[in-house]
Amino acid sequence: MSIKVMVVDDSPFSRMMIGEALSGAGYEIVGEADSLDSLIETYNNCKPDVVTMDIAMPGADGFECSRELRRNDPKAKIILVSSMKDEDSEAEAKRIGVSGYIQKPVDGETLIQVIKNVMSPDSLFEQLMERGLETFKEALAQNVTRMAKTPVIFNPIENSDSPYISQGITAVIGIIGQSTGSMIMDLSPDAAEKITEAMLRRPSKNREEVLAMVAELANIIAGIACSMLNKKDKAFALRVSPPSLFHGNNAEIISPSLKIQRSLAGTDFGSIFLGVGFKKGSKLWM
Amino acid sequence: MDVNHINPILAAFAEILPQIGFQKVEKKNISLVGSTFDYDGVIVNLAVVGTVKGVIMIGMDIDSAKRFASAMMMGMEVTDFDSLAQSAVSEMGNMVCANACTQFSKVGIDGLDISPPTIMISQGGLATLPVPQTIVIHFLVDSINIKVYVGLA
Repeated sequence: MSIKVMVVDDSPFSRMMIGEALSGAGYEIVGEADSLDSLIETYNNCKPDVVTMDIAMPGADGFECSRELRRNDPKAKIILVSSMKDEDSEAEAKRIGVSGYIQKPVDGETLIQVIKNVMSPDSLFEQLMERGLETFKEALAQNVTRMAKTPVIFNPIENSDSPYISQGITAVIGIIGQSTGSMIMDLSPDAAEKITEAMLRRPSKNREEVLAMVAELANIIAGIACSMLNKKDKAFALRVSPPSLFHGNNAEIISPSLKIQRSLAGTDFGSIFLGVGFKKGSKLWM
Repeated sequence: MDVNHINPILAAFAEILPQIGFQKVEKKNISLVGSTFDYDGVIVNLAVVGTVKGVIMIGMDIDSAKRFASAMMMGMEVTDFDSLAQSAVSEMGNMVCANACTQFSKVGIDGLDISPPTIMISQGGLATLPVPQTIVIHFLVDSINIKVYVGLA
């Protein structure tokens, strides 16, 4: 079955150029719109697989139209096709959740390649889902063993959607890149204190020292795991944020937009919970 | 206190909240605390990576979080802070922080990106940010108290 495309552009000439390039390659142009007025109605009637979107249009521009389209259908796949393409417009497009962005004048082959990639399953995301948790487990095991001199054995843990209740100290690290995600590391204050003592080869002086150890350990694990993944495929382009720490009374930890894969590392000092999740993002920029 | 880290957040709240069902967004006050502070209720954690790094957290008590989610869901009754309400509040955090990234680029802080939100729920919880000082912005949004903690460096 051919891929159905809707073309949004105020210029009849541009609509014709894009339409002809795609029709010639076997794509079906199922709808056209020249402004926000007819956009949603046309989209809902023709149900395209992908929408090409101009930016500079009278009235609502392509960003506003894209926002409206994604509000109407959060799964809408939009490819911006515009002569305007700079850092600001790319950043704005990414925030809206646009799938692809190519510059005019439109090269038919480039547009077809971007549509093919947008329509294909996100293989990078699937690789992350497959390798992500294992890589983070490897980074945790290597570094806890090296720094605290304790063997690490992973125990099975139920991968449920129910909220996770903290054991006492939680580090949350944000991951940015081709896909975005989070790493959650959680352990009891007792285990954290014992690991700190093993690392420093003396008892910790205060709670701040223990918290600093947890932050640093989480930072090292996330940083090394993301580097390992980037080495496997640099297209992951993963970067990590510094850790936020949560402690004090017990907390419930929820990641509403992520499916967190869970693991529990057993050490001589107590168990360390490790949760890793990624969010699909199929962005293509040419 | 870096004013460049405050104005984009104020602008983002003023721009996004009216779009998701709120009438009045008031800034009550701005203060500075250390890296650790306590919270009762809900904290939405969004990590920031780019030319500045750190975290933006949005905190409110459970009752406020329920009222907030209810307003976002067109007044639907929210008796528990359940998964639907959690999703609404986290989506608000996502939208405000994504918009804040755009506002940051207007003051020359470019290329910021945010992580998906993580929610913590606790009574008597403590949060420690990866910066020595945290800017706390207290908002009153249609009489709902919200605190935004900004720890960027």
